[in-house]
Amino acid sequence: MMRALIVDDELHPREELALLLAQTGEFELVGQAENGVEALAAIRRERPEVVFLDIRMPGVSGFDLLSMVDDDVMPQVVFVTAHDEFALRAFDEDAVDYLLKPVSPERLARTVERLKQRSAPSARPAFASAPITRIPCAGKRTIKLVNVSDIELVKSTLSGVYVVSGQGEYGTELTLQVLEARAGLLRCHKQYLVNAAAIDEVSLGDGSNATIRTRSGHSVPVSRRHLSRVRELLGI
Amino acid sequence: MRLLIQLIEALSVFLVIFYLYCRSPAFRPLKAEWPRPRGKVRLYLVFTGIAVLGNYLGIPVLEGEAIVNTRAVGATLAGLLGGPLLGFLVGATAGLHRVTALSGAAAFPGAVATTLEGLLGGLVHVALRRRPERLMTRRVAFATTFVGEIVHMAIVYFLTRPFGQGAEVVRIIAVPMILANPVGAALFMAVLNERQREHDRVAAASSARALKVAERTLGLMARGFGPEVAKELAAIVKEETGVGAVGVTDTERVLAWAGLGGDHHAPGGPIMSPFTRQSIAGNAVTFADGVHQSYDCRISPECPLNSVIVVPLQIDGAVLGTVQLFEPRDRRFLNMNRTLGEGIGALLSSQLLVTRYQEQKNLLLRAELKLVHAQVNPHFLFNALTTIMAVTRQDPARARELLGHLSNFFRKNLKRSGELSTLREELEHVSSYLEIEKARFQHRLVVETDVDASLLEMRLPTFTLQPLIENAIKHGLSAAVGTGTARIRAHRREGAAVIEIEDDAGAYTERGGGDGLGMKIVDQRIKQLLGPEYGVSVACVPDELTRVTVRLPIEGVRR
Repeated sequence: MMRALIVDDELHPREELALLLAQTGEFELVGQAENGVEALAAIRRERPEVVFLDIRMPGVSGFDLLSMVDDDVMPQVVFVTAHDEFALRAFDEDAVDYLLKPVSPERLARTVERLKQRSAPSARPAFASAPITRIPCAGKRTIKLVNVSDIELVKSTLSGVYVVSGQGEYGTELTLQVLEARAGLLRCHKQYLVNAAAIDEVSLGDGSNATIRTRSGHSVPVSRRHLSRVRELLGI
Repeated sequence: MRLLIQLIEALSVFLVIFYLYCRSPAFRPLKAEWPRPRGKVRLYLVFTGIAVLGNYLGIPVLEGEAIVNTRAVGATLAGLLGGPLLGFLVGATAGLHRVTALSGAAAFPGAVATTLEGLLGGLVHVALRRRPERLMTRRVAFATTFVGEIVHMAIVYFLTRPFGQGAEVVRIIAVPMILANPVGAALFMAVLNERQREHDRVAAASSARALKVAERTLGLMARGFGPEVAKELAAIVKEETGVGAVGVTDTERVLAWAGLGGDHHAPGGPIMSPFTRQSIAGNAVTFADGVHQSYDCRISPECPLNSVIVVPLQIDGAVLGTVQLFEPRDRRFLNMNRTLGEGIGALLSSQLLVTRYQEQKNLLLRAELKLVHAQVNPHFLFNALTTIMAVTRQDPARARELLGHLSNFFRKNLKRSGELSTLREELEHVSSYLEIEKARFQHRLVVETDVDASLLEMRLPTFTLQPLIENAIKHGLSAAVGTGTARIRAHRREGAAVIEIEDDAGAYTERGGGDGLGMKIVDQRIKQLLGPEYGVSVACVPDELTRVTVRLPIEGVRR
């Protein structure tokens, strides 16, 4: 039994696929997500082995979503979509399979065979390595997409990860590791990332600590461990 | 006194000759031509002729020692019209003629004086060059010649040998010449101006007639160039110009004929006239005026036509055909000239160009529209089928209902190939689409419709609403994570019918690339059918709402 997650913004296709997966007897369905933010949370929480992923979704597309998943929880990916124009890209970049809606049970059986032949993904699939330029954040009713260039800092707190821009503070499902690796943000503290372009001032404290002030006046601590690298990158 | 009357008689003969010259085809009343070398030579010859004639028509006095003459008219006018050099040359030539051909004691002083008068006219020309409307007046001609003649008398008085005879000569010739020459010059100028005005009038009348033709053919040419249009075109041109006959051809055969000779110049016949072939080959107006060159009908010897203008109709330099204006042999004054022909040709050709451009734009629009639908519908279909498959398991009756909507939508898509639909039809088409989208997105999609019932029968271009609503769903609501509301409203506002399609995602600014294509096409079609004041506009408050407004005339599209 493979642990599977279905990600699709529409209810009926999710239900239909869930039913088809159950009929194969090969999957344990660990959840259904209807947008990128939910999907990221579910992947981290449930650690599915395979995700059935719609490509066209509001706010965060299937491709976007994959680039935001942490390496250590990256599942196998089967794309499920009504659009065939993405197929080439998906196969070029090492997806397990690509299902076209509406999905037939016979076609799904072949997907099961492929999944069985593959072991767990050894490396991060190429399609999931695209740089992140916009970070999905939970808005009131929509997914707020914050441009990386607008971000001043990212902080990790007990209640989650927050990106801070000149406009405000937004919670996100992305981890500091992913943001550091693929959004080009600078690690300055165990719990903080800073956008080097948004740094207004660095004040060196006593000892080997420092504090960064961003252009909107937010303070970001720089820890001893990261100070030398920050200094190096900023040329001071 | 007798001398004065004789001189005026001579002058009258002169004026008659000049008048006849002005009426002849040899006369070119083109001011624009005068400054050019060819025009200068022409002026020189004409006015030298006038001045020399003044010598011969003069009245010898004192046993031929002197001649009371009107030579000064030619020299002064030449100076006035052509400048100092021309005045000088004409004066000198006429003076030389006076000395060599007709001798006498006053010959040499007279020659010098005439040369100076030509020069004087030229100086006045230079002084008034910037104000030609004052230069070309009778008053200036009179005054210049008057002053010139006084100088003339002074020179004769002092230069005539033996000294003393000069006084005798001046006593006899001064009064008649000082009076007659200025009057003559003024009259010449009057004739010249009159002729110039007449020429302008004829040109203006030709342009006006060409414009009148163009005005009446405006709608006609929009239907494209073919036998039907050619027939109406021939009739319009004939009626507006009053010529004997009008033919319209394409590049090979006669398409239509109106007027004389219709019995043998039947539509469908091949092009016979070398003028037409020449016009088509060279993309130029050809004119046979019936005097220098005649049109000889190759079909029938009985043909009454003997003059023709062939005007090519062209688009981008490629000749499509010709319009031909004919006059019969017995018509003394032609109702046509080259200006008219060129005017008609240019105007009709530009109408053809506009028509061609419109056609291509239409084609492009239609092709784009087809493309947009070809791209959108398959995805819509697959998504719809996926939804219906799922619904089939839980609620077969609902699934049947959805299949009904789906087939309804596609049937309407197919059927609606016509250009226009009523608002009711548009809304029905859209409602099938929306039913399926509502099934897909469930609670996430709410649609509110508020339509002024009096607008339901209004006609608008087919597929106006569907692409706009599809945009709202695709980019607005389906891109929103939570519930989205779409509002479709139609009402009257400020004398226009306004249809608004609103979504509360406010994501319009984030759309880019080709997504606006559907909207652009809708906008262009409306503008094309109804004018630039109508069409589609978008207002967007980011994250709050996107409102697409379609403005149409209340009565919709009239057909």
